[in-house]
Amino acid sequence: MAFSRRSFLKYAAMSAGGAALADTPFISAEARAKAEGGNVKYVPTSCEMCFWKCGAVAKVVDGKVVKLEGNPFHPQSRGKLCARGQGGIGQLYDEDRLKHPMIIDGPRGAGKYREASWDEALTYVAKKLKAIAAKHGPESIGMMSHGSPGDYFTNVLKAMGSHNIAFPSFAQCKGIRDEAWLLTYGHKPGSSCEQVDLENSRVIVLIGTHLGENMHNSQNQEFAEAIGRGAKIICVDPRYSTAASKAAFWLPIKPGTDTALLLTWINIIISENWYDKEYVEKYTEGFEQVKEAVKQYTPEWAAQETELPMRQIVESVRELSRYAPNVVVHPGRHYSWYGNDTQRARAVAILNALLGTWGRKGGMWLPPKANFAKFNDDIPAYPPASKPPLIKGDFPFAGGEGVTQVLRDATITGKPYPIKAWFVAGTNLMKTLPDQRLTRKAIDNLDFFVAVDLFPTETVMLADVILPECTYLERHDGLFKIKTREAGVAIRQPAVEPMYDSKPAWWIGSELCKKLGLNEYAVKGNGMDAWEGRMRRQAKAWGIDYDKLAKHTGYVTIPGSERPYITADNQPVFNTFSEKIELYSEDLEEKGFDPVPQYEEIEHPEKGMYRLIYGRSPVHTFSRTINTQWLWELEKENEVWLNKKEAVRLGVKNGEYVRLENQDGVRSNKIKTKVTERIRHDCVYMVHGFGHNAPRMKRANGSGADDQKLITKYIEDPITGGTGMRVNFVKIIKEA
Amino acid sequence: MPRYAMVIDQSRCIGCMACVVACKRENDVPPEVYRTRVLEIVQGNFPDLTTEMRSELCNHCDHAPCVTICPTGASHYEEDGTVQVDIDKCVGCKACIAACPYNVRYINEEHGYVDKCSFCQHRLKEGKKPACVATCVGGSRIFGDLDDPKSEVSVILRKTSHRVLKKSIGTRPNVYYINQYPKKA
Amino acid sequence: MELSITGTNAITYPVMHVWDWRVAIYLFLGGLSGGLMTMSAINYLRSERKSGTIQSLCCWQIPLMAPILLSIGLFFLWLDLERKLHGHLFYMTFKPLSPMSWGAWIILLIYPVMILYALASLPDEIKVKIKNTFIKNTADAMAPYLSKLAKLNVVFGVLLSIYTGILLSSLVARPLWNSAILPLLFLASGMSTGTAVMIIVAKNKEAKLFFTKLDIWLIIGEILIIALMFYGHYTSNAAHQEAIMPFFNSSHDTFPYFLSIVVIGIVLPLAIILKFLEVRGQDTEKEISRFGLILMNTSALLVLLGGAVIRFALVYAGQLSGYGNYTMM
Repeated sequence: MAFSRRSFLKYAAMSAGGAALADTPFISAEARAKAEGGNVKYVPTSCEMCFWKCGAVAKVVDGKVVKLEGNPFHPQSRGKLCARGQGGIGQLYDEDRLKHPMIIDGPRGAGKYREASWDEALTYVAKKLKAIAAKHGPESIGMMSHGSPGDYFTNVLKAMGSHNIAFPSFAQCKGIRDEAWLLTYGHKPGSSCEQVDLENSRVIVLIGTHLGENMHNSQNQEFAEAIGRGAKIICVDPRYSTAASKAAFWLPIKPGTDTALLLTWINIIISENWYDKEYVEKYTEGFEQVKEAVKQYTPEWAAQETELPMRQIVESVRELSRYAPNVVVHPGRHYSWYGNDTQRARAVAILNALLGTWGRKGGMWLPPKANFAKFNDDIPAYPPASKPPLIKGDFPFAGGEGVTQVLRDATITGKPYPIKAWFVAGTNLMKTLPDQRLTRKAIDNLDFFVAVDLFPTETVMLADVILPECTYLERHDGLFKIKTREAGVAIRQPAVEPMYDSKPAWWIGSELCKKLGLNEYAVKGNGMDAWEGRMRRQAKAWGIDYDKLAKHTGYVTIPGSERPYITADNQPVFNTFSEKIELYSEDLEEKGFDPVPQYEEIEHPEKGMYRLIYGRSPVHTFSRTINTQWLWELEKENEVWLNKKEAVRLGVKNGEYVRLENQDGVRSNKIKTKVTERIRHDCVYMVHGFGHNAPRMKRANGSGADDQKLITKYIEDPITGGTGMRVNFVKIIKEA
Repeated sequence: MPRYAMVIDQSRCIGCMACVVACKRENDVPPEVYRTRVLEIVQGNFPDLTTEMRSELCNHCDHAPCVTICPTGASHYEEDGTVQVDIDKCVGCKACIAACPYNVRYINEEHGYVDKCSFCQHRLKEGKKPACVATCVGGSRIFGDLDDPKSEVSVILRKTSHRVLKKSIGTRPNVYYINQYPKKA
Repeated sequence: MELSITGTNAITYPVMHVWDWRVAIYLFLGGLSGGLMTMSAINYLRSERKSGTIQSLCCWQIPLMAPILLSIGLFFLWLDLERKLHGHLFYMTFKPLSPMSWGAWIILLIYPVMILYALASLPDEIKVKIKNTFIKNTADAMAPYLSKLAKLNVVFGVLLSIYTGILLSSLVARPLWNSAILPLLFLASGMSTGTAVMIIVAKNKEAKLFFTKLDIWLIIGEILIIALMFYGHYTSNAAHQEAIMPFFNSSHDTFPYFLSIVVIGIVLPLAIILKFLEVRGQDTEKEISRFGLILMNTSALLVLLGGAVIRFALVYAGQLSGYGNYTMM
């Protein structure tokens, strides 16, 4: 064969470590393209098939992206991409993409639009927004967003004087957890990743965190590494997830009772003296109060409450304590479950503290130490908000990302003041927010609704003006600060020119600023290179070689930033009032909440009803990727998991199509049944994101069932405003 | 000449399907057909369950029934130990599809020839690993040269008990499986 | 057990279906063609033995039918090729271990034998009608060798019938096919169907009765081989045991196979019984009665039907069989 040893050696020498055989040689995108010759181009960039921001390298041949690979330098990807990352080409070349700006031509929801030029569309948007700001005040313009486009439109809104900007990533996802950890440690457990040192862990506890199905790349790489090294997994989940299949202890807990288990574990650890005394003394506050508060939570009680065998409860925490501090109780990510979730997150945080995991090998690493110079490209300060933003509602610990459903409620009620226009970028609200009926009602109440997105989703198709953003493979974004064990900077840059008449969000935002007469907030410079110019200035301010980033590595490390473990000269800093880990939270106490988590019982379904729980597929990101050919192919519809005994009782066969009807009489699309031993008898499970009602998304439309449609009930967490969404009960309706 | 082989550490497979999509894009595999697949086999009753994760692909057998049966020499052995299809020689008789005990071959509907996993031979020639291996998030797929005693695959196969699929058929596969179930305690 | 697979191909999942009725028809016609070669040749050779001279006594069309039926069969096989315009690739190489490769080459050998034999056996009154002088001359030139060609055809007919079973039997991955007895079954069936056609077309009572008697033995042999085939699988490994299950399971999914066994189980014995009825009391000089003719032709048709059912059932059921397709390690 043509592959000679010599050519191999050439590559081996090129690759950093000179690995033994056929290792992907990559030191520089440009060098690799040169070595391969022809019309090949390698473009280092950042993936946006989900929001883990992996480094990707796009292989471009004759102006077409033919392959995506993981950037070996980037700590979030380490040379690998997941299925979605690999399938990103499908998003780029999806024929169902939004292709031109569109202006509504008929009633909302009828789906009738006319194509418009960018100039016409943006002029129209600016005119409308100005009119609404003049009439109701700029604060009546609200925005909801996810992912990178948010930055550019936040700029537009703040420049206009509205701070009513909310991200579903807070109240519908991880904001609850972040606030709980801020209260405890003065740190979020990482913003783009949880600071878990999985690859060195001896014991990993996952509470409803389904690694393997929740495909965050580097975290899963470390999880597999830990399994390979023989780490013990303790998986608490009513469903036998992929992670549970790797676990030494699978605790099929009764849904909604996780806090009972956690508090009992805390009690056991304290009463058995398994906690890290030295660590607790040195770094924490409030141990005695915790000890007192958890006394009541005995294993006998927990066994009854959680429906887990007592032996399993005790044995698992013994294993956990035995290997402490090289263990971790994963902080989790999607946290809006039952409406009392902050306290569950607090319990996890406290448990970690007692085991001494923060700053310990195999526990949670300390945040990297890096100072990025302030850079805002000399954009003037924003005008003060015309009225105080309403996005935190009555929730004392709602974070800066805002509480989406508060914005929605205000849109419906007009209180405390009216919201008349929405700017929605990169999020399919109908599938994100609980109770679609309210979302629809709020949209119907709007005077004006602009959507910026890639696809004609059900939410986008309710907008008055639709602005087609280009995909991540066609645009600049960032620079991104990447904070893993080390700090670093990553780039997103186009692999190809934008297709159709789509534009990068930075350009849309900047042009809109100009149309609004807010030129000083627009990106400096003209044309499609303007943002790259800004990136260069930013790199300069940060002391980073932009060309190295763009042409060669796609990621650069901030040297010396990695200080993951506590040592004599590397002490942790806790940004709490006491500058310690606050096991007992005076902040919570002050606002009338339990300063140490207490167990609150929640409502459970009656017989014949099942709690609806939902989760992720490794090949899909929410509802964003269902229409992507290579991913759609792998999973075209979701299934509802039903316990085998229950299925026998109901006479439902595996593979049979059924409908689910919730407590409010709302019925799902038909959905295939997976009759399985892998789930408890009192709940059913489905993957979130399916069941599109978006006729212009040909593959995704109508395939599978939409869990969000069934989530008409939600319980707001009084501390943070997170929407507990696992509180809906469904029954199975057999198809006639 | 190298003798290529793959080792699959089943315990490390997290079923993420990155290999499946990477393969499709790398090799421009048509819609709805695949060169590699992932099986999840769960046994037992709630709550005592066991799972085997198993990714499968062409085994590049040393004694490949597909090569034996091929009337035109399209399916053939190469010096690097792989089994390849010379698509220009294929008449689409499908005997090889029937002959393969592993069900890893398919027809390229557009052109009519048979196709299958090539161990990404084009990448091997560039000094890269197969696409599925390069992107295997769990590090479950390990690739290398059996003729190199120091290669990772050689070391693993020396030290670890391993299996091949359907050994009794006598195809002598070059894809080896280790750690059928995750170590649990 | 709960099995989920991501990344399956429709051609092999949930069960393999690479070959369909086209291949079944080819196998049937190939076997029949072999049977006709052998049986028509035996007919000539018997006449030679009895009368001392070889004569085209009856059914001169039969030797011609053999290449025509084989060609139709090959046409269906060609229809099954995914790259129909690449057929020449068979002849760019010879793969000694590939039955398909030698099949391709053997055909080049069989056709001349069949055709020359057919020409040699043409009676004079037909030959005069031939306009093409080359064919006519060849027919004249071959006529003296009719006896030798007939002997050659007996052998080649047997080989052709056996060959039709070899490709399937060589596929280790498909246990139902992977049995050395399969070529013998196809031989017996091919000969039997060939004999059945002889019975129908033979004008001479003596010949009809001869082939009827012969067919009784062939059918008995065929039934024995089928029984042995099932017994062989049943006593073999698990995959082979599984492979024959569709034939003995009347559930919805496997009903066609169950039915095929029922049909074969009725048709072949019935054909035998009918044949016994025909043979009995036919030793007289009387011509065969009208009713006797109906019996004969019916039983012959049943034999043809049985032969077709066997090919179809085996082609389809073989594709269901495998080594625990997706579950076994």
